[in-house]
Amino acid sequence: MNIIVLLKQVPDTTAKISISSGFMDESTITKWSMSPYDEFALESALQLKQNCNGNLIAITCGPDRCSKMLTDAAAVGTDKLIHIHHEGYLDSIQTQTLLAAAIKKFEGEVIMCGKQAADTNSGSTGPGVAELIGASCITHVSEVKYENEELIATRLNSLGFEIISTSPPSIFAFDKGVKELRRPNVRGIMMAKKKEITRLTPEDLGASLTNSNINLISQMPPSEKAPGQKYEGTDSIHEIVSKLRDEANVI
Amino acid sequence: MDYEALDFYEIDSLLTDEERMVRDMVRDWVDEEVIPNIENACREGVFPDEWRVALGEMGVLGAPLQGYGCPGLSYTAYGVICRELERGDSGLRSFASVQGSLAMYPIWDFGSEEQKNYYLPKMASGEWIGCFGLTEPDYGSNPGDMITKAEDIGDHYLLNGAKMWITNGTIAEVAVVWAKLGSEIRGFIVEKNDPGFTAPEMKGKHSLKASVTSELVFQDCKIPKDRILPGVKGLRGPFSCLNNARFGISWGAIGSAQACFHSAKDYSMSRIQFDHPIASYQLVQNKLAWMLREITKAQLLAYHLGQKKDAGNWIPEHISLAKMNNVDIALEIARVARDIHGANGILDEYPVMRHMANLESVKTYEGTHDIHNLIIGRHITGIQAFTREA
Ligand SMILES: Cc1cc2nc3c(=O)[nH]c(=O)nc-3n(C[C@H](O)[C@H](O)[C@H](O)COP(=O)(O)OP(=O)(O)OC[C@H]3O[C@@H](n4cnc5c(N)ncnc54)[C@H](O)[C@@H]3O)c2cc1C
Repeated sequence: MNIIVLLKQVPDTTAKISISSGFMDESTITKWSMSPYDEFALESALQLKQNCNGNLIAITCGPDRCSKMLTDAAAVGTDKLIHIHHEGYLDSIQTQTLLAAAIKKFEGEVIMCGKQAADTNSGSTGPGVAELIGASCITHVSEVKYENEELIATRLNSLGFEIISTSPPSIFAFDKGVKELRRPNVRGIMMAKKKEITRLTPEDLGASLTNSNINLISQMPPSEKAPGQKYEGTDSIHEIVSKLRDEANVI
Repeated sequence: MDYEALDFYEIDSLLTDEERMVRDMVRDWVDEEVIPNIENACREGVFPDEWRVALGEMGVLGAPLQGYGCPGLSYTAYGVICRELERGDSGLRSFASVQGSLAMYPIWDFGSEEQKNYYLPKMASGEWIGCFGLTEPDYGSNPGDMITKAEDIGDHYLLNGAKMWITNGTIAEVAVVWAKLGSEIRGFIVEKNDPGFTAPEMKGKHSLKASVTSELVFQDCKIPKDRILPGVKGLRGPFSCLNNARFGISWGAIGSAQACFHSAKDYSMSRIQFDHPIASYQLVQNKLAWMLREITKAQLLAYHLGQKKDAGNWIPEHISLAKMNNVDIALEIARVARDIHGANGILDEYPVMRHMANLESVKTYEGTHDIHNLIIGRHITGIQAFTREA
């Protein structure tokens, strides 16, 4: 079975984001990481690969810097690495078009991704790609197992857990799972170093990027948090309680 | 506050991709598993067994050794691993140094084929812990005069004597012990259950509290003939091990210094006295600037030494310089960081006092600071000054 995991490289959560002339300035970001929900997708994909003896392909779409993340995925056991190379901004529809084309090219049957990326938070990749390739899409998944030729997914909804079965082609968009993420080891790292990354351009995939009707107008930092308030001594108990109750709504 | 490793000259950009991946792996593990548990381990005076398992699983033990299940990384990668481990705690790095450089290395370099095949895979995987017995109660800086002796009794050797200050001793399955056979120093592999061998733990350390330190006592300890290391005679044996361990320490100390700098910088930016952050005062900035300066110099020393080690064009004196300098500045940085933290600096909420106390041991073991001065002095002048008798 061909399992595909879609990975996005995002500014590390510790990175300082700066804006220059209305847009985020990538050049000031010193650390890039795999988007956290994608890490859960990758871990589940690795488990499913062991579970069904499958072939795991990682696909990313983005500039040069993204290949490091693919090598990291190889270090924990990904079989094949695909980098759809594109420098510069891609909107959600363009990204989905490229990913869908690559999934078709590599005959992906089970596709896993994060429920949303830590930078854009749009949450559209899973459903969007599913639409383009005609697959079922299950979101907020915490686990996927392969049993009797069926894929069994656990998803978290506001009431509790839900168990869903489906058959390929299917896309699973992952929430924070229950599982611990595996760590690479030296052996994996040494093998990953030798693993080839297949680089493809949008043209190689025969994908057109002109189908987008979205325009990014500008980006700005979130407004600064109001400074905290500090109280000392027992005299302020009444005031604190009323603030916690009426303003913070926590009691 | 997330750890941001000080690397002012971006020296890590000179590492290979593989070395950087190993760095990130170890750094993440230290963040997730070591930093949250280290104070507890120190309070209880134990080396957490999970750390042994994790080091084995990551595959970093005996990092630069090739074959026999060993990782086969570069010496530079070994240095990077030591640095990242010691950013967590010097006791953790001590564990890895002893396992890789002092116990696995002599078997790898001087052992028989059978010994290598038997011991190394289990030591690389962390299943068996090793220790290294050189120092004796009366012979520290001067191990050449050791009194522990081995006798050839026909079908086995008999070991008698005592070693002291032995890292990992009590928890080790395998001890590489240096003893005199006749007048010659030889290496012997002693196993935990060999008759006549005990390894009581030494208690009451104010330093390296999360590292096990022990005595090794041999009372007519009987060991089979095939446990002698065939490949080396004389002080060259233990000294070649020490060269590798000292190399790792020269990187490791930087990790402690980086941790102390990180904490001091953070603390000084948020601590308000006289209405302003203390980091805004010139005296404090001078301290931070000095720390950055010394860490950057130490990083350059360590990196260049790593390149020399990997290229094979090094002499022991190169290692002495880096061990001596980098531990010295790390200890001084830990003290200044402690000062910047004021009273908070003595609490276990901050890592600085722990690093400071740890580095006192690091300054002493693997050749004291001054012994390295004497080694370099002899190199410069051609005159040995260790003893009055020439
Ligand atoms: C926590 C810890 C772990 C250790 N782990 C191990 C281990 O795993 N295996 C092992 O074999 N050993 C180990 N050691 C022992 C360590 O290597 C010795 O402590 C070290 O070699 C110094 O010996 P000493 O303590 O006897 O000090 P001494 O040799 O007595 O030195 C005391 C002082 O005298 C100075 N001095 C000595 N000779 C001279 C001279 N000729 N000229 C000028 N000054 C001199 C020294 O610099 C030092 O300042 C460990 C030590 C510690 C503290």
